[in-house]
Amino acid sequence: MKENVVVIGGGVAGMEAARELLLLGYNPIVVEQQDHLGGHVAQWNRLFPDISSAGDLVRTLGDGITDANIFLETKVTFVNRLQNGYLVMLSNGVNIACRAILVATGFKLFDASRKEEYGYGVYDHVVTNADLESWFNGNDSDRFPAAPKSIGFVHCVGSRDLKAGNSQCSKVCCITAVKQAIEMKERFPDARVFCFYMDLRLFGKKYEDFYIRAQQEFGIQFIRGRVSEVGETLEGRLQVKAEDTLSGKPLKVQLDLLVLMAGMSCNPEVAELARMARLDMDSDGFLRSRDNLGGINESNRPGIFYAGACTGAKTVPETLAEARSAALAIHRYMQGR
Amino acid sequence: MIYEGKQKIWRDYQKEIPDDHWYYVRSCIRQNFFPASERKFTDITQQVLGKDVYETPYHTTCGGIAYHCDAIPQETVMTIVARQFALMTEAGYENYVPSCVTSFGNYVEILETWHEFPELETRIREQLWKACRREFKKPKYLAHTSDLIYHWRNEIAEKARVRLIDKETGEPVRMSEHIGCHYAKMFPSKGIGGAEYPYVLAGMIESWGGQVVDYPERRHCCGYGFRQYHMKANRGYCVSNTHKKFESMEPYGIQAILTNCPGCCYFMDRWQYVIAEQTGKTYGKDGFGIPVFTYEELAGLVLGYDPWDLGLQLHQVAVEPFLDRIGVEYDPKAKYLGLNREDILRPELPTNLKCF
Amino acid sequence: MDHLFEELEKDYRFKEGYHTCINCGTCTAVCPAAEFYRYDPRKIVTIVQTRDDAQIEALLKSDTIWYCGECMSCVTRCPRKNGPGMVIMALRDLSIRLGFFTESEKGRQMLPLTRTFARNILEYGYCVYPETFDWNDHKESGPVWKWHMDHLDKSLARQGANYQGEGPGVLRKIPQESLDELQAIFDVTGATRRIEQVEEFSRQKAEQMGLSMEEYAKTAFEYSSDKHFNE
Repeated sequence: MKENVVVIGGGVAGMEAARELLLLGYNPIVVEQQDHLGGHVAQWNRLFPDISSAGDLVRTLGDGITDANIFLETKVTFVNRLQNGYLVMLSNGVNIACRAILVATGFKLFDASRKEEYGYGVYDHVVTNADLESWFNGNDSDRFPAAPKSIGFVHCVGSRDLKAGNSQCSKVCCITAVKQAIEMKERFPDARVFCFYMDLRLFGKKYEDFYIRAQQEFGIQFIRGRVSEVGETLEGRLQVKAEDTLSGKPLKVQLDLLVLMAGMSCNPEVAELARMARLDMDSDGFLRSRDNLGGINESNRPGIFYAGACTGAKTVPETLAEARSAALAIHRYMQGR
Repeated sequence: MIYEGKQKIWRDYQKEIPDDHWYYVRSCIRQNFFPASERKFTDITQQVLGKDVYETPYHTTCGGIAYHCDAIPQETVMTIVARQFALMTEAGYENYVPSCVTSFGNYVEILETWHEFPELETRIREQLWKACRREFKKPKYLAHTSDLIYHWRNEIAEKARVRLIDKETGEPVRMSEHIGCHYAKMFPSKGIGGAEYPYVLAGMIESWGGQVVDYPERRHCCGYGFRQYHMKANRGYCVSNTHKKFESMEPYGIQAILTNCPGCCYFMDRWQYVIAEQTGKTYGKDGFGIPVFTYEELAGLVLGYDPWDLGLQLHQVAVEPFLDRIGVEYDPKAKYLGLNREDILRPELPTNLKCF
Repeated sequence: MDHLFEELEKDYRFKEGYHTCINCGTCTAVCPAAEFYRYDPRKIVTIVQTRDDAQIEALLKSDTIWYCGECMSCVTRCPRKNGPGMVIMALRDLSIRLGFFTESEKGRQMLPLTRTFARNILEYGYCVYPETFDWNDHKESGPVWKWHMDHLDKSLARQGANYQGEGPGVLRKIPQESLDELQAIFDVTGATRRIEQVEEFSRQKAEQMGLSMEEYAKTAFEYSSDKHFNE
C-alpha cells in the first residue's frame, strides 16, 4: 500500500512534486480549486528564457502524473492533526489520512485595478501582463487596439510598493516585460515600445542577453522612472507621466496600449489553511519557511512542506526545482531520516 | 473610458456623513472671492433643507494659507485649529464642516498627526490652555462643505427648478470637475471617491442632470501653489499650470467646470482671462471662456436662485451662455446692480475675453 | 556630520514625510513645479538622504526648496509612503530658523509673506482680507475685481456678506477678544518669535545688499530672475 501525500495546489509546483512523489513510490493526491491543472502557467503563452510554450510545459507535467489522484474544483475544508499525521477533509466529501502534506498554493496575481492611478478597468487600453498572454493565446479583446503605434510596459505594478502592501520584488516582471516587449515589437515592428522601470533586475540565465537584444535588435526604449499617473485622451490614447530619472526631467508620452506588469502577491486564501494547520505566515503574507536558506521547503509543522510561490515570488525553473526538492524532503521525512 | 470601473472605485471610498447638526467654519479665500457662495451654503442648508448648521462669530482663519506659505510654524496652526475645535466643543457640536479645502486638508492632516504622535496633541492642548484657557474635544465627524452638498444632492435634485440639460438639444450639459489637491491627495480615504477619481463633485453633476467629462490633466493642480501665487514674482507658475489644464480639456467641448476648492475656482476663472488677454486664446465658444462654478453656485442655479444673488457677476468669465444653455432666467441689466437695484456702475470689459 | 539631518528629524512633517527614497521619480512626474522650474523633488529627498551637512546646508540656502507649491500631489503616489512636499516644509522651516533663507532670491520672499499673513491674521483674523488686497498687485483678478474693490461695501452687501459687521456671516468683523487669542497663540507657539526672526535676518541681508527694508521687501515680492525656469 502506497502512502498518501496530499498536495494542495495543482499548479506547476504541485504537478512537478506529484510526479516526483509517484517516482519515489508514494500516492500523491492533488487537490486543485480550478477545473484544470497548471495554475497561472496554464494561462500563459510563452515562457522566458527559451520562449518555449507554456502549454507544452503544462502538458508534459500532466503526462507525468496520470497515475496520481487528482481532484479538480476541490478545496481543502479542514485539516485535523492526528496522532501520527493529518486528516485532510475536502469539499467533495473525501477525507484523507496522511503523514505528509505539500502546500503548493502559489501566488495571487496583484489586482492591478488597486493602483488606481494607472486606470486598469477604467481606461480602455490598459491591460495586464496576464491579459497580454491571454491575448497571445488567441483570446481577442477590444482592449487591444488593432495596430498600436506605441506601447508601454509598466514594471513593478503592486511590487516594491508599500502603499499596495507589497514590499517585495516579484522577480519575474522585469524579464517578462522584456519578453513581452520583444513579442509585441515582433508583431508590430513599426510601434515604439517603452519599458518604464525602477531597477532592471535581470538576474537569471540569459536574461541580460534578452535585454541587450531588446535594445539592439528591437529598439525598445528603457526609461528609468516609475509611472506616476495615466490619463485617457479623447482619442482613447493613454497619457503616461513618469520622470526620466537619468536625465532628471518629467516626461509625458501618449501610447495606444499600456501593459501593467502585475506582480505576485500572497494568495489570501492561504491564510485560512494556515489557521487550520497552524502554519506561520510571513510579514509579506506568504507562508514562512523554516528558514530561507536550507529550509525553504519546510514549515513550522512536522510533515507539512512547501513548494513554489506559496512562500514568495519564484520563477518557473525555481518553482520546479523546489517541487523536486520538496518531494525529496517528504521522502526523507517518511523514511524517518 | 469604462464607467463601471470608476463606479467600482467609488464604492470603495464612501464616508459616513451625519445628516444633521454641523458646526460650520468659513474660508478666508471664499469669503473674499465667493462671498455669495458661503451665504448660499447657509441659506440652502438651513432654509431649503432645514438642517442645523451653526456658526459662531468667534471663529477665525485656520491659518492654513499662512502655514502653507511657511509663514507660521506647525505648532501655531495646530493651536489655532485646536481653538476652533474648542469653540465647537463649547457650542455642543461634534460634526465639523469647514468651507475651505485647504482647511479641510489641514484639519485632516492635524488629526492624523495627533493620532500618530499623541505627545504632540498633548503639547498642543497645553499650549491652547496657556494661550486661551480653552479645552477641546476632537470632532467625531469631519466633512468638507462639498461633502455635505454631495450628501444632500438628491434632496436638492428633488427640489430642482433647473436641470443641467441643454435646453436646445435636450442633451446633458458637458461638465468637468476639479477637486482641490488638499481634499484627498494626502489622505485618499478621507474623500468621497478617493484621490484618483473623486466622486464628490461628479455625483452632484450626475444627480442634477449633467454629464461628467474626464480629461487627461483632470487631476493636475490648478497652480495656486500658495507662495507661488501670493508672491507676484512667482505667478508664472500658477498661470502655466492652469494653462496646461485648459489645453488638455480643450478638445472635449466642456461647457462648465465644477470645483470644490476656493483657490481652484478663482484661479481657473481668472487665469483664463489672463491667457485671453495675453495670447488671445479663449477656451469656450465664440470668444467666451469656460465658466467655473462653486458647488453652491451650481446647487443654487439648480434650485432656481437668481444668478446675481449667487454672485456670478463676480466671475471674470461670462456665465450667461451657460445660463442660457440650461434655461436659467435672469435679468441681464441687473447683473451689476447693488442692493435695491442701486446703480454702482459696472466693470470695464476685457479686451479679448468676451464678457457682458 | 549629520547635525542638520538631526534637526530635520525633530520636525513632525519630516517624521511623516521622510522614510527612505527609492529614487523612482513618481513625485517629480506629477509635480506642478517640476515642469515649470528647474526643479526635481526626487533630488531633494536624495540629498536629504545623504545626511550630509554640507549638501543639506547648500540646499537650505538655495532657491530649490522654495519652488514647491505644497499641493502634495507627490504624497498620493510615492510607493515608499514618502511626502517630498512634507520634507520640503521641514527644510523651509529649518532654513527660516537658521536664517539661511535670506541667501536665495525665492527664500527672501519670506519677508513679504510673513508680513502679509501676520498682519492679516493678527489684525483681522483672516489669511486674506479686502483691506490689505491691493488690486494693482493683483491685476489678474481682472476688471470685474477692480469694480468690486472700488464699490466694496455695496458689492459685498449685494452678495449677502456681513462685511465688518457684528455677529456671524461672511467677512464679519472678528471680535477683538478672538484676535487677542490669536495673538496669544502666536506668542505661545513661536509664531511671534518667527516673525521677529524673519524681520531680523532680512534686515541684516538688506543692509548687506545695500537696500532699505521696503526696497528689499518689494524686490522679493515682484522680482524674478530668469535662472529659475525650465527651458
